[in-house]
Amino acid sequence: MSLIAQNLSVYFGDVRIFEPLSFSVSLGEIVTIMGPSGSGKTSLLSAVAGDLPHPLYSVGDIFLNERNLKNVAPENRRIGRLFQDDLLFPHLTVGENLLFGMTRGPKTERTAMMMTALGRLELAGFENRAPHTLSGGQRSRVALMRSLLAKPDAMLLDEPFSKLDKSLRATIRDYTFTHLRARNIPTLLVTHDPEDVPKDGRVIYV
Amino acid sequence: MRGGSKHLAALPLVLLFGLPLIASLLYALISLFDREGWAALFGHPQIWPALFLSLFTGLSAAVLSLGLALIIVVGLYGSTRWPRLSRRVGSMLAVPHLAMALGIAFLIMPSGLIARAIATLVTGWQIPPQWISNHDPYGLSLIAVLVIKETPFLIWIFASILNREDVSRNLGGQRAAALSLGHGIGSIWMRIFLPQILPKMIWPLVIVFVYSASVVDVALVIGPTQPPTLSNVVWADINDADVFNTARGAAGAWFLTLAIAAVAVIIWVLTRTILTKRSWLAAGPVRRDLIRPFGAPSPREKGGVKIFPSPLEKVPEGRMRSLAKLKFLALTFIYIIVALILLLLSIAPMWPFPNLFPEALDFKAWWRVTDNPTALLTSLTLAVSTSGTALVLILAWMESQPARRDRTVLVLSALALGLPALLLSLGQYRVFLNLNLTGSAIGLFLAHIIPVTAYMFIVLCGPYRSFDSRWRASASGLMVGYWRYMRQIKLPLLKAPLFAACAIGFAVSFGQYVPAQLIAAGRYSTLPMEAVTMTSGTNRPLTAAFALLLMVPPLVAFLAAAFFGKSRWSA
Repeated sequence: MSLIAQNLSVYFGDVRIFEPLSFSVSLGEIVTIMGPSGSGKTSLLSAVAGDLPHPLYSVGDIFLNERNLKNVAPENRRIGRLFQDDLLFPHLTVGENLLFGMTRGPKTERTAMMMTALGRLELAGFENRAPHTLSGGQRSRVALMRSLLAKPDAMLLDEPFSKLDKSLRATIRDYTFTHLRARNIPTLLVTHDPEDVPKDGRVIYV
Repeated sequence: MRGGSKHLAALPLVLLFGLPLIASLLYALISLFDREGWAALFGHPQIWPALFLSLFTGLSAAVLSLGLALIIVVGLYGSTRWPRLSRRVGSMLAVPHLAMALGIAFLIMPSGLIARAIATLVTGWQIPPQWISNHDPYGLSLIAVLVIKETPFLIWIFASILNREDVSRNLGGQRAAALSLGHGIGSIWMRIFLPQILPKMIWPLVIVFVYSASVVDVALVIGPTQPPTLSNVVWADINDADVFNTARGAAGAWFLTLAIAAVAVIIWVLTRTILTKRSWLAAGPVRRDLIRPFGAPSPREKGGVKIFPSPLEKVPEGRMRSLAKLKFLALTFIYIIVALILLLLSIAPMWPFPNLFPEALDFKAWWRVTDNPTALLTSLTLAVSTSGTALVLILAWMESQPARRDRTVLVLSALALGLPALLLSLGQYRVFLNLNLTGSAIGLFLAHIIPVTAYMFIVLCGPYRSFDSRWRASASGLMVGYWRYMRQIKLPLLKAPLFAACAIGFAVSFGQYVPAQLIAAGRYSTLPMEAVTMTSGTNRPLTAAFALLLMVPPLVAFLAAAFFGKSRWSA
C-alpha cells in the first residue's frame, strides 16, 4: 500500500519538462523532491494530484494503493495537498474551513470532530473566527488539519513552510511530519531548503 | 498636478455630470409627492396587468441571463477559450438593445426568416402562419431579446472580476485546495467561488433587472401591446400633451421604480439567506470511490518509442465545458444571424413570403440614408463628443482628487445607471425646461453625457486607481516632469482601459432613447428615435438599414479600441 509513480513525466506540447521518474513512497514515509527553480517540481506534484493546468499534461502511470489514477478526476483521487499559502477560504470561518473537507454525515458528529480537531491544534474556541484574524502559524496548522480531516490516502506538500518565518518553521515542520507519520500517510514534499528534509528521509532530485 | 488650481480640475465633472444629475434627481423627487398624479394613476385601467408584465419580463430576463452567463462562465473559466471569449463578449455588448430587438423581430415575425425556413423546408406554407411572435401578450419575445443582450453583459462583468490578477491567483489556489479535499467543480463554484464573487456583482445585477423591467424602446419594438409593459404606459403618458396625463405618467414612473425596488430587495434578502446558509456552505464533499482498479490502457510501442494513448488528466470541468461551449456558440450565432438578416433586408425591396431569398436587390434604402444623414450625423457627433468629453472630465478628476472622493461619483454613477431611465429623464426634462435647454444642442449633449460619464467612470475607476504609484516615483527620479510622465508613461500604460472606456461611452451614447426623445423636443433626431418611429411604418428595408446603422458604429468603436489598446508585445 503506497504511492507509486512509473515513468512519470510532464510535457508542455512536445517539450518534456523532466525525464521520466519512477519512485514509490510507502505508508508514513516522507519523500523529498528537490531541484532548481523551473525543474518541474510543482508540475510533478500537480501531475500526481491530477490538476496540471492546460497546456501541460503528464504521461506515465501513478498508482495509489494499487489503483491506477489514470483518468481519475483530481477530486476523486483522495490525495491531500498543502501549498505555500494556507489557502483557507476567506468567506468561511475557521470551523467551517475544517468542516468543508469532512465527509458528509450527521451534523452533530461532524461538529464534534471539528471541535476535537481544534482542541488538538490548541485553537479551542476559534471555530467562529475569520481566517485572516489568525497568525501565520495558526493558519498553517488549520490548513494541515483541514487536509487531514478529509482523510487523504496520500499527501503532497508544495513548499508549505517557505513563507513561515524562521522561528516558526521548525515547529510547524515537526508538527506536520508527526501528524503525517502518525496517520501512516505516504507523502511527497517539494522544497528548496535542505533543512526541510526529514532525518534519514529519501530525496529525489529533478 | 500641483498648486491651488488643482481642485479646479474637478469642476468640469461636477458641472457637466454631478450637478445636472443631482438636479434631475431632485426634480424627479417632486413628482413623488404629487397626490393628483397618484390618484389618476390608480384610476388607470391597465396599471396592474402592465405592472405585472413589467416585473415578469424584467425578472425573467434577469434570472435567465444570470443562469446562462453562469453556465458559460463556470464551464469556460480557466480554459484556453476564456481569453478569446472575454474579448468577443465586448463586441456583443456594443450592439445596442434596439438594433437587436429589430433584428429579432424580423427573425420571428409571421413573415420572418424562421417562418420562411419552416415553410420552405417543412410545411410548404404559402401565406405567413398566424403565430404570435413579436408583441406576444406575455412578453416572451421581449424577454428573449433582453436575455440575448444581458447575458454578454453579465459574462463581461464576471470576466472583469475573474480576470483581475489578485482574484484569479487566489481562486486558482482555492480551486486546487478544494479539489484536494474531494470537492467537485460544481460544488466549488457553489460553495467557494460564487459566495465570494456574487456580492461584488450586486450592482450589475440590479442594473440588469432595473433596465429589463423598465426598458422603453425595446418594449415598443417587440414587447406586448394590450396591455403594454408599465414602462410604455408611463411613456405614453409622459409624451402626452395633456398636463393631467403627464402628472399621471410621473406618478407611474415612481410606481414602477418603487415596485422594482421592492422586488429587488425581496430577491436580495432571499439570495442572501440561501447563499450564506452556513451549514450548507461548509458541507463536506460527497465521497465517490470512482477509482477503477484496472482502468488505464497501457502504452504502445512504436519504433522503439512508447506512445501513451492519453494523458493522465481528466479535467474536472469536463462535461460542463461542452455545454458552455454550445451555449456560447448559440449566442454568437444569434448575433451573426441578426446582423446578416438586417443586411439582407436592407437591400431587399421585394421579398415575397415563402421565399428564403429576396427576388431583387437594390440600395434604395441606403440612398435614402445617405440623402438625409442628419440623424446618423447627430448620433455620431453626440457619441464622439460625449465620450471624448467624459474621458477628459474623468481624467481631470482622477488626477486632481484623492481616491476617497471617488465614492461620491461612484454613488452618483450607480444612481444614474441603477434608476429607471424613465424616472431620471423625467426629472431632467423638468430641470432643462426651467433652464430653457429642451430642444437645444447643449441640452441634448448633457442628456447624453450623464449616462456616458457614469459608465466610463465605473469602468475606469479600478484600473486608474490601482495604477502603481512607483512609476511616478521612478519617473521623478529620472527628472521627468508631470506632463511628460503623463504623456509617455501613465497614459500609454493605461491605454487599454482608456480605449475600452471610450468605446463603451460611445456605445452607451449611441443607444440612448428615452432621454434623447424627451430633451430633443422634436428639434433634433437621433438614430434610436428614428428607428423606433420607423417600426410603426412599413418600409422594411429602411428599418433594417437603420438597425444596421445603430449596430455598426459602436461595433467599429469596440474593434478600434481593442486594436489601439493592444499592448505592443501582444501578438
